[in-house]
Amino acid sequence: MNRESRRTISREYFSQERLAEHHFRSFNAFLDRGMQEVVDEKERIETDIGDKEGQEPVFVELGDVRVETPRVREADGSEELLYPQEARLRNITYAAPVFMEMAIVRGGEEEEEVVVDSTETKVGRMPIMVGSRKCNIAELTREELIDIGEDPVDPGGYFIVNGSERVLMTSEDLAPNKILAEYDTKYGDEIQVAKTFSQRRGYRALVLCERNREGILEVSFPSVSGSVDFVTLVRALGLESDEEIVHRVSDDPEIVKFMLENLEMAEVQTEEEAIETLGKRVAGGQGKNYQLKRANYVIDRYLLPHLHEEGVDEEEVRINKAYYLCRMAEACFELALERREADDKDHYANKRLKVSGDLMRDLFRTALNKLARDVKYQLERANMRNRQLTVNTVVRSDVLTERLEHPIATGNWVGGRSGVSQLVDRTDYMGVLSHLRRLRSPLSRSQPHFEARDLHATQWGRICPSETPEGPNCGLVKNFAQAMELSQNVEDEQGLKRELASMGVEGIPGIEGVDSMAD
Amino acid sequence: MSQAREAECPECSGRLNTQGTETVCGQCGLVVDEYRIDHGPEWRSFADDDTSPERTGAPLTQSRHDRGLSTDIGRSTRIKGRKRRRLSRMRTQHNRAQISTKRERNQVYAFTEIRRLVGALSLPRHVRESACSLFRSAQEADLLRGRSLEGFASATVYATCRVCSVSRTVDEVVDAAKASEAEHRAAYRALNRDLDIATGPIHPVEYIPRYASELDVSEAVRRNAEAHARRLRESGDTAGRNPSGVAAACLYTAARENGASLTQQDAADVAGVTPVTVRNTYTLLTE
Repeated sequence: MNRESRRTISREYFSQERLAEHHFRSFNAFLDRGMQEVVDEKERIETDIGDKEGQEPVFVELGDVRVETPRVREADGSEELLYPQEARLRNITYAAPVFMEMAIVRGGEEEEEVVVDSTETKVGRMPIMVGSRKCNIAELTREELIDIGEDPVDPGGYFIVNGSERVLMTSEDLAPNKILAEYDTKYGDEIQVAKTFSQRRGYRALVLCERNREGILEVSFPSVSGSVDFVTLVRALGLESDEEIVHRVSDDPEIVKFMLENLEMAEVQTEEEAIETLGKRVAGGQGKNYQLKRANYVIDRYLLPHLHEEGVDEEEVRINKAYYLCRMAEACFELALERREADDKDHYANKRLKVSGDLMRDLFRTALNKLARDVKYQLERANMRNRQLTVNTVVRSDVLTERLEHPIATGNWVGGRSGVSQLVDRTDYMGVLSHLRRLRSPLSRSQPHFEARDLHATQWGRICPSETPEGPNCGLVKNFAQAMELSQNVEDEQGLKRELASMGVEGIPGIEGVDSMAD
Repeated sequence: MSQAREAECPECSGRLNTQGTETVCGQCGLVVDEYRIDHGPEWRSFADDDTSPERTGAPLTQSRHDRGLSTDIGRSTRIKGRKRRRLSRMRTQHNRAQISTKRERNQVYAFTEIRRLVGALSLPRHVRESACSLFRSAQEADLLRGRSLEGFASATVYATCRVCSVSRTVDEVVDAAKASEAEHRAAYRALNRDLDIATGPIHPVEYIPRYASELDVSEAVRRNAEAHARRLRESGDTAGRNPSGVAAACLYTAARENGASLTQQDAADVAGVTPVTVRNTYTLLTE
């Protein structure tokens, strides 16, 4: 390609609209579907009303959520559209009202469900990214922007909270829901570990599968202290027979040998026995029935939560969890036999970027939970005082607003991370551009982490090889390359799976119809 | 933060330069200031009580039952197991111990309701503060006996709005409130009688910006309407008329004069009055 055309392409990539493109795409996706998804996950707010005899239970059903464009309500009560420049000058927040459909329903198991009150109510205000789809200046021309006092070359991509411009730092995390095999040392011995950060709906659980020095596999996951024998756990999940377990791990004769050692050491043979053993571990000293209940709850709740999916029944999910554990076991053994190398954590295939939309999603989820708790309390209070239950009088809109604004204003994000939002660097125009395209590794800057700071070959074309600060943050704070393209998660996962199934992938849970078609 | 201050040298009126922690006169070399002091605004308000100049802790506020002097037992992800459970039990007990009397419990309930109302009506922050302090006075004067808490919550918000000249109509407040209209009126009557709230008749101008933005009329119409309202008030013609109705009539008149389309019905609906009320004031204005 000649120099001229290269230059054209280069210009096209670095055009004004594309500078903060990743922020816009991510935040727009959050506004378009992310918010609704979070509300749908929540689905309803249960209350304690109805726990007593002779009382009908009450719950609130959450419906569609809708965001307007930023506007300001003056003290005299008038409301008008807000433009970014006015927000900056008046030290106010560039935020849009959020409305949600809510219905208070009385009744439940025995009684008929009666909708007491149902309206769309204002639940709070959502800070809006400048230049995003819901921004008031999103589709204005250069001349219109100048007319209303906005900077026509401002790239956008940040929020305005109490008049200060805040950009959400893209953070570089280890990819969730992926098996990573690596070496570890325990009591001076080298052991092999397969790790998975299983993530679903903001809940993150680390599942570890270790091969200890005797060659026995142990699995540890949240809510169980210490570790559980691999074979016990797999049997508890419904993968019972020796043959099946071995077959699911591997057909390789050497791995089969390892697996047989494990099976010989197994304490339990059947699914019931396995669940009983697990029950003793998670609820030792409790009643037998409670132990079983607790064991089942722990399996369904804390073990590999990312394998759960809407519309797939528990049975299938459990067997799928067993298969997944078998794959983790295989990774351990392969590492032990030196059939493969330890996974490279710095490889960019093992990284995921959390852009502003993902961060806002985390924030909105906790804010909504807080709101739900407040609504629950208000409802119980109103019911106790024999008040008419109406949607408008139980929703306090400042609860959500505060939970959304405060983290953006201070940078103290949910989950204890700090410095997530930063004041936009307005030293000069280049400073802004660079700041919007910056990404940060969550690793501590006080520790060496030499490998993490090094330039990795897979950063080619994605991360700028030279732009990084000097000093303690060197190599941990990076900047996007000019032609970087950030791909997003798919909207319709079911559709993707159906497509894969039609191409011949077998054993995807929740896809039945296609299997028979493929035969 | 080493910027030159606006002040001048006390000796020779020369320009002052600040370098590091030292402020030096550029002309005679007098060292004016040796220590760096944060001259930024303080977060703590000394307006209400200049007797106690403490600078530590969160700002004091009337809008919490403990005036903002609460202690919370925090959470940490590092504490696990038995210690964590013990802390959570302590947290429960601590939260219970924060409210010791029925009176405080009522305050907490009323203050949440006031807070909700202020949020729902999009009122400024200081309204919440004064409404809460008015509620305190009402409680001190023993006005709550036999009247409802919800009524007092809405009545204090309504009264504060009137005092701060950001009036809302009774209907607007009651619509957003948990209280019924009767409760609201009973509470407001008690407040008015026993606490001497400094309210005069509501100036119709206070309603106009809100109605104007709801009716979506132009800025010019709004200003015109406000001029009309001021004129009426000065001539004393607002006496005995519903200020909300007057505001609607002023907007209607102004819209007609500016050639904007606005029906009497629409103006009346926004103000919560009948078109007849609007028409009466309109004829008065056009005469």
